[in-house]
Formats: sequence, structure tokens, C-alpha cells
Amino acid sequence: MADPFLSIQHVRKSFGPTTVVEDFNLDVERGEFVSFLGPSGCGKTTVLRMVAGFEEPSAGKIVVGGKDITRLKPNQRNVGMVFQAYALFPNLTVAQNIGFGLKVAGMPKADIDARVAEMLGIIKLPQMADRYPYQLSGGQQQRIALARAIAPKPKLLLLDEPLSALDAKVRVSLREEIRSIQKKLGITTIFVTHDQEEALSISDRIAVMYGGKAEQVGTPFEIYNRPATKFVANFVGTLNVLEGKVTDAAAGTVQVNTQEVSLKGKLNGSKSGDTLSLALRPEAISLGRQPGRDSSLSGEISEVHFLGSVIRVRVGIGGNMVSLDTFNSPATPPPAVGERAEISFSSNDMLVLH
Amino acid sequence: MKSGKFWAWVVFALGAAYFFIPLIATVEFSLRMRRGAYSFDAYQIVLGDPRFQATFGYSVVAAIATIILGVLIVVPAAYWIRLRLPQLRPVVEFITLLPLVIPAIVIVFGYIRMYGSNSPLPFLASDMGTNALLVIGYAMLALPYMYRAVDTGLRTIDVRTLTEAAQILGAGWGTIIGRVILPNVLIAVLSGAFLTFAIVIGEFTMASLLNRPAFGPYLQNVGANRAYEPAALAIIAFAITWGCMSLIQILSRFAPRSANRPN
Repeated sequence: MADPFLSIQHVRKSFGPTTVVEDFNLDVERGEFVSFLGPSGCGKTTVLRMVAGFEEPSAGKIVVGGKDITRLKPNQRNVGMVFQAYALFPNLTVAQNIGFGLKVAGMPKADIDARVAEMLGIIKLPQMADRYPYQLSGGQQQRIALARAIAPKPKLLLLDEPLSALDAKVRVSLREEIRSIQKKLGITTIFVTHDQEEALSISDRIAVMYGGKAEQVGTPFEIYNRPATKFVANFVGTLNVLEGKVTDAAAGTVQVNTQEVSLKGKLNGSKSGDTLSLALRPEAISLGRQPGRDSSLSGEISEVHFLGSVIRVRVGIGGNMVSLDTFNSPATPPPAVGERAEISFSSNDMLVLH
Repeated sequence: MKSGKFWAWVVFALGAAYFFIPLIATVEFSLRMRRGAYSFDAYQIVLGDPRFQATFGYSVVAAIATIILGVLIVVPAAYWIRLRLPQLRPVVEFITLLPLVIPAIVIVFGYIRMYGSNSPLPFLASDMGTNALLVIGYAMLALPYMYRAVDTGLRTIDVRTLTEAAQILGAGWGTIIGRVILPNVLIAVLSGAFLTFAIVIGEFTMASLLNRPAFGPYLQNVGANRAYEPAALAIIAFAITWGCMSLIQILSRFAPRSANRPN
């Protein structure tokens, strides 16, 4: 990346003796949509609040458009933010809420009115100008909050779990709307979420955070298919983890329970006798031998859940439990609990977790 | 169940009688100035008395000054404590309760010793200084009511997030307090203001010992020397106080509903 628009450099944040963010680094390109994904307490919101100026980093610096903003107050940063709790001003109408930042900036009333109308058009709520926040649904309030944040044309848009308080259906439609508006305006955006589906579906890149650090930064495809750490592999998507022992490092063979699997070229740095965690996504596993799948393991079916179009099957392989989904076929009855079964997969899909 | 309801009504009736009978008796007595007929003569005399107009006017001005001083002190303090120093809340609550346990006479004697004409801060050396000291004293007497009213108002809004939302949109502290916080706690502030008004209008101890021409000492003076007029004055003072309480009730209906807690 030649010239990052937002650069978070070696940022650390401690509250008393507790370090919440440790040596966090991230470069974001102009117009990029980056998500901070992680469990509660991983430091994602703290990093966002440091970018907004609500928290001062204990060390490190934050640069936006080539300018160091680390010590600037929030009202000097020209950053827009959408909060989880909407944070619309209850005493102001929708139009006054959207125009708040413009009025503070001293924009003439006619220009404010025009910009507010434009914003209401963008969020598809043109008829709501005179309503008060309490007269709107949660989804509408959050769209108004988004319009208010982008009305002053900020350099950076920060979204702090904006969809968490909404019901499932509204979440999906609003996240698509946020992404579409972001693309249309080309505004550089940081999105904080603990919901992996949200992050995977709308981000250009994702920073997966754990224990105050970025465990991995990459595109959704990279994060899902090539997780760099055990935490990322476990946190993003459903994962089957099998414990294995390297039997011949040179030949790339690993023993899972009493069965051998070939993982040639994937055991870099491992020695014979090492114990490894091997991971497989459910969609990479088939029930029975399938063409193109070079590896297989056998076990006993322990659970079968009929979910309509999909049948979820859990197979016990020694002490390991593997979950996989198969499509329902009216011509074939689902497998029965207690049956012996073989699962097959491509060794290329097997992840070796370090 | 029915017997429980019956006794509840009995207790209610006794309470209401305890409250209303003296009130009705006072109203009735205040109307008996003219022999053999009910009249508003006592009220006419009281309202036409230049001392009534002067002392009532003085107390109204003092009450307005007290409300302004109280709002200027309490709103930023309660806001800042909620926003940045929540650990100090119990301490501040305790301090604001002190005027309820320290008698006004103790406070006013303290003032006279501290701010006499020979002290480094000679408030009592001039009429203006004494008036200012009286307003400061009133603001302190009203502190428990004003602080609680404002704090309760602040509790109904998400102070921190609203502040941050305004800050990120470029607002400074003046704009945040003036355009975001104050309008959302305005009804609470008005409640505190009316309680302050009711306290100041009838206050006797401070005004009397600081020798100010306020309504409280006038009430006492008339009460000591006349028969029917004090009853009329008591009813007028009562009407003013209840008028203030009714205004609080009416205004609370117009409180802005929080975005986070619709309806």
C-alpha cells in the first residue's frame, strides 16, 4: 500500500495497570471499508474510540490524510461516527439532527436545508424530516444517525456496532444499505462488529482482533480460507478441529486417532512426533468417498439433524467430533445414528493451526 | 379484600381532613372581615398594601436570581459528574443534602460572622452585597431540590453517548450543554426552578436576620399585628406554591421522549 489514508501506528492503550490494546498497526486505503472483528473485550471499540478522539492512546500515533491527529480533540478531527445506541438528539427533529454538524460548522441555512434533503434522499427517508426520533423505528433511527454522520462530509466514517440493537431482518437490509452508501460516496470506513457474517459480507478487509492485538488482517476470503492463527480459524466460521500426531514429517503424514492422513507440503517446521491441531470447514467435508477428495477418515455417526434442505451430521472419529452438512435428497434417506461412516476431503482444504 | 379497601378509604379521608379542614377554616376566616357577610376585603387590603407589593416584588426578583445562579451551578456540575466523575456522585449527593440538616439560622449566623463589614469579603457592608449574599444563601437552601431534579433529568438521557455524538459533529462544550443537554433536561430544570421559587417566596430566617425587605418577614409582621389579613396572605402564599407545583406537573407532560426509550 503506497499511501495509506488512515494509518494506525504502534498504538497502545492502557487503563491503569490493564492494557486493552497492544501495539496495534493498520493501514487503510482511501475509500476502503475495513471491519474490526472480535469477541467482547478484544479492544476493537477502544481502537475505534482512539481514532474518534474519545480515548487518547498511551503510545503510538494515528495519521489521517498525512496529518497526525493523535492529540486532536474529537470536534477537530472531521470524523463521522454512528453509535450502537443511535444517539439521535431527542429534542431535535430528523432534519435538525442531520443538520446539526452543518449548523455547528456555520453553514448557511439554505445550504443546510439542501444538504439535509440530499441526505434524506440517500437514506430513502425523504418524508421523515419533521419527525422526532421517538416516532421512528430502530432501523429508521440508525439510518438517520448514518445520514447525520455523513452530512458534514467527514474524512472518515466510524461505525461502532451500528446494527447490534436491531432485529435480524433489519440488520441484513441495513448493512447492505450502509455498504451501498459507503461505496457511492467513496468514504473511508471503519466498522466494528462482533458478528462474523456482517464483517465477511460487507468488508473490503477485516482485522480480526483478540487480546488487544490484530491477529490477522486480510480480505474476507483470506480470513475465512487461510486463517493465520488458531484463534482466527476458530472465531471465523464453523470449524472442525482434529488433534493429530506427525508420524513422518518428511513424508507429510499425520495420524488422527489410529488413521493416517497425508498432508504433504503443509507441515513446515513440524517434526515427527509433534502434536498438531488440524482444521476442516464443514463445507470441505463429504459423507462417503467422493471423486476429487484425496483423503478420508472413518468414524461413527453420533448425531443427525434434519434441517429441511440441509442435513447436519456429526461423526465421531476417536476423541474428535466432525460436523458436516449434506443436501437433502428425497431419493436417499438420511444416515442413521450409530452407523459407521466414511468422510472424505481434499488434503489441500486441511488447515494446520499453529 | 373489601374490608381492606374500606380502611384504605378511611385512612385517606382522615389524611384529607387533616390537610383540608385547616385550609378551609383559614379560607373561611379570611372571608369574614366584613361583619355578617363574606367578602374579599382582607384580600383587597393585602393586595393593595404597598409593603405587600414591594416585599413580594423583592422576593420574586430574589427567586429569579436564585434560579439563575442555581441552574448555572447545578446543571454543569451534575452533567460533568455524570459524564466524567461518576465516582464522585455519592460525595456530591451528600454535600447537596447538607442544607436539609443544617438549620438556616446556623448558616445565616455563619454568614454574618464570615462576611461582616470587617471581614476580607464584606458582603454585608452594602445593600447590594447583602442582597447577593441572600441570593447565594437561597441557592444553597434550594440545592437539594435543584440538584435532585437535574440529576433525575440527566438519568433519563444517555449523557455520554449524546455528548460524544455532538462532539464528533464538531460541537464544543457550550453547544453541547446549550443545544443538546439543557433542552433534554429542561423540564427537570424547570421543576427545580419552581421548587426554588416556592422555597424563596416563603423564606423567613435568612431574609429576616440579614434584614432584607422580603415577603417572608412581611408575612410574619402582618401575622403578628392583624387578624384577617394574615389568613388572606397565607392563602395567597399557598396558592402561589401550589401554582408552581401545578406548573411542574403540566410541563412534565411536554418532556421530550428519549430516542432510546420511545414512549
